[in-house]
Amino acid sequence: MSEGGKATSNTESKYPWSNYTLKLGRGEPVSTTQYVLYAVQIAAIIVLSYLSVSLLGPLSYSGVSLFYFVYPFFLVFTMWWGIWGIASAYIGCVLGAGLMVGLGVVPSLAYSISDFIPPLIAFIIYRGLLSKQGFDPLWRDLTDKEVGGVKTKRIGAWFWFILINGLILNAISAELGIGIQYQLGLIPGNAYWVWWAGWFVGDLLAMVIITPVLVKGLTNLVERQGLVNHGWIT
Amino acid sequence: MASPDEEARASKKYVCTFIFSMRTGTPIEKLHVITKFLMIAVMSVLALYMFDIPVSKGGPDIVGLILLLILVFTLLIISRTAKHLVNSYLVLALPVLFGEFFWWLFFNGSLPGARVIFYLWPGFLPIGISTIVLVGVFSLVYYKTRNIGLSLVPALLLWWFTIMPSALSFSQTATWVRIPIGANYAFSLPEWSTMVALSKALGYGVLIYTSFLFLLTTRDVEIAGALRQLRLSFRKAFFVALMFRNLNTILLDYQDIKIAQTARAANVVRKSIFSKIIDLAYVSIPLVATMIRRSTEMGVALYARGFEASKGMTDYKETKRLSVVDFTILAILAAFLIYEVILGHSITSLFMR
Repeated sequence: MSEGGKATSNTESKYPWSNYTLKLGRGEPVSTTQYVLYAVQIAAIIVLSYLSVSLLGPLSYSGVSLFYFVYPFFLVFTMWWGIWGIASAYIGCVLGAGLMVGLGVVPSLAYSISDFIPPLIAFIIYRGLLSKQGFDPLWRDLTDKEVGGVKTKRIGAWFWFILINGLILNAISAELGIGIQYQLGLIPGNAYWVWWAGWFVGDLLAMVIITPVLVKGLTNLVERQGLVNHGWIT
Repeated sequence: MASPDEEARASKKYVCTFIFSMRTGTPIEKLHVITKFLMIAVMSVLALYMFDIPVSKGGPDIVGLILLLILVFTLLIISRTAKHLVNSYLVLALPVLFGEFFWWLFFNGSLPGARVIFYLWPGFLPIGISTIVLVGVFSLVYYKTRNIGLSLVPALLLWWFTIMPSALSFSQTATWVRIPIGANYAFSLPEWSTMVALSKALGYGVLIYTSFLFLLTTRDVEIAGALRQLRLSFRKAFFVALMFRNLNTILLDYQDIKIAQTARAANVVRKSIFSKIIDLAYVSIPLVATMIRRSTEMGVALYARGFEASKGMTDYKETKRLSVVDFTILAILAAFLIYEVILGHSITSLFMR
């Protein structure tokens, strides 16, 4: 084996999260427990989406909340459960932040793309790229000094977390969500940036405050129970 | 002779829906879930189209939106679920509709046409129709709530809305006496603003109440049954049913955790908004932990009942066939859609010739 190949092999097994990849899974079918868990987590996201919009926000009933506290939930669920977390983000928005607050079928189906894209891209970036650079795709390096005996790069982790999730993906989400609602005639033109800012700030605040709490409190528990997906599906 | 499934369905007087419950035997309850879904989808498309017709093409279809709204409320009354709406969401949705009206009134200044004057304060206290509105709304809300403060808020708001338009404040019919108080503060808006804002509020009302119509008259198991009729495998249909069946459970878990926090003195001292947000974050851990624990227990229960080895599952007894009524309604909706959206006609223009 060449030195380059040896080096690659060492890097891949260097981190305790190296087995979390962008493959489909480990080739095993979805177990009954996982099957139920994926359904229940989608239900949880639907309920939390509904509460995020109906409880908080003068802009609510248009699907826009000033503190969209479900956002970190489906981000973390995506990091744990791959495509199932991404599906929960979309379905949660359609039903919880759409139909159940009276937005209507067509607007709900359309603007929920704004909750589908960010977790999808985050999953790809973290598992496909940043995990190889020493950043935990499960975000434990945001709160822990070491993971599985490996010292974490907390400052770097926070930098990428805020840059990718807080700024770039959040801006894309706001642009998609408000843009689609504007195209459907639900938002007046002169109020576009007011609603855009409300969306952006609401998601950013929730993400920064709640994600570390979720990760610190639950990721190790979920991993110990063998419930974290190794790939997209299982 | 009724089949055993029809007899089983007919034996229950009320059944649980997504929110609240629904009386069986009503015309809406007999509709297939696919018909109900397409009905609300078509109505939402119509509402989106009607309130977005540009001014250059005649403006929004106000009459069409009013007819849609009447249709939705008629369906709610027929389905005997209107009482749930009156006790809860109808009241909660009204501020939203007013909010929509004012967003579109003030943030849509780029419309063509002459400008109309509106008054923040007309410079006098008008006695007329606005006074009747004030007294009437106050009395109605006070009758329900027995709270003066709570009754004053909507009464004063609606009173203020009726003195804003110059057409009402300075009309001899609408304002009988004017008592001069202070200076007038006015602003102008394009004359189409009110029409567009009203159409948005009406359209939003159609969207809100059609969504509630669906949620008030549909059962989760009907959706799973419909998916089986569409040839989806039992495992996939059951997955959807699992999802919907856990909605109430998770909401109850959330409420239980909030109560447990209160029992642990979480709300004893006054907290800043940031602390309240942190408290909300701390609800997430027991909620997700409970979710995982419950999923594990349900997974074991399903496995013990032979879920993984199951073949040839019995269909849901709530599954219905599409009937003549379903096809008739679908045909009427399709005709309405073609007339309004594809051919570009407007119901308002039929009345305004």
